Amino acid sequence: MANHTSTQAAFENQPTWAGGRSPFNVSYGKLMMWIFLLSDAFTFSTLLVQYGTQRFSNVVTPITTKWPDPASIFNHFPFMHGLHLPLLFVSVMTFILILSSVTMVLAVEAGHRKSKAEVARYMVYTIIGGIAFLSCQAWEWYTFIHEGARLDGNTFGITKQGYDHLNSVGFGDHFEWADGDRTFGPVPFAALFFIVTGFHGFHVFSGVVINVVVYIMTVRGVFERRGHYEMIEKAGLYWHFVDLVWVFVFTFFYLI
Amino acid sequence: MEFYNKPGDYDAINYIPHTESHGTKELWKTFWLLLGITVLDFVIYFVMPASGWRNFIFIFFGLVKAYYIVGAFMHLKHEKINLALVILVPMVFVLGLISGLLYEGSALEVMKSM
Repeated sequence: MANHTSTQAAFENQPTWAGGRSPFNVSYGKLMMWIFLLSDAFTFSTLLVQYGTQRFSNVVTPITTKWPDPASIFNHFPFMHGLHLPLLFVSVMTFILILSSVTMVLAVEAGHRKSKAEVARYMVYTIIGGIAFLSCQAWEWYTFIHEGARLDGNTFGITKQGYDHLNSVGFGDHFEWADGDRTFGPVPFAALFFIVTGFHGFHVFSGVVINVVVYIMTVRGVFERRGHYEMIEKAGLYWHFVDLVWVFVFTFFYLI
Repeated sequence: MEFYNKPGDYDAINYIPHTESHGTKELWKTFWLLLGITVLDFVIYFVMPASGWRNFIFIFFGLVKAYYIVGAFMHLKHEKINLALVILVPMVFVLGLISGLLYEGSALEVMKSM
């Protein structure tokens, strides 16, 4: 303890720029996590820049009316085959991710109180949320590919007839594509969908892995012995970033 | 938020973070807010016909959600303002680039059809 105090005193006598002290008053790990998230945000931004340019420069093509209206494609819901339920499934996915964000931040809060049991419990909830989201995304991809989406092509050029057909169907009514409803559309549509949601899904997957590791460390008492639960905060920063990216994926891919 | 470090704020060797719980009230409030905005997104999608204004509303709502996630969940509101600025200032320029290219995309569209 004497050693601790003398180190503390040595630091106190250091001027701010002499090192040994964080300029932002956060720990090394947390600062590095923020810097990583900033660089990751740039990565996702480049994808969104690419998407935005393609999206709005492909409004009209010679053979189809426009870039497909996402509600006309993402209108499926598990166990409700053939029903026209646009946007419902993605909204449920958004809800799952928001909920898992809350359980994550509750784990962080429990960590501040050094309550091991609560941290472990909330981490389990968060991991379940993450796995649920990934399962939803797998189902979404499966349905999309089943409907004919490919990386190198787009069969979702929806014709005038197709849109008239879609508009005649109400929310929750039975819907099936008819001949002449669809033709080839702007190629980047499906490719960008796969790349951006795939990139995001991979981040969710890494987040789940990180959360599982952190959960095991919690249960084994690593943080209890360390005296603080800052690792939960760092994992939480990453997890919330994944949620943040989803906010923009949801906005740009499904709403606009 | 404070501008300057007090001496001895951070000791790299014997570091034990100073933590205090701010309670769960703010977190649950943020949750209901995020949920409410998402429901509102869903409703507006069906009530309002597609237009530039509707896209503007969706992007604005996205930014509001981002503010609450970063501020409350990621705790950036309670960090030093220097750290918050280092992270937020570059993102402002990136957001400018994204919205600029959304607009320029339409101009490309016009040029392609010429």
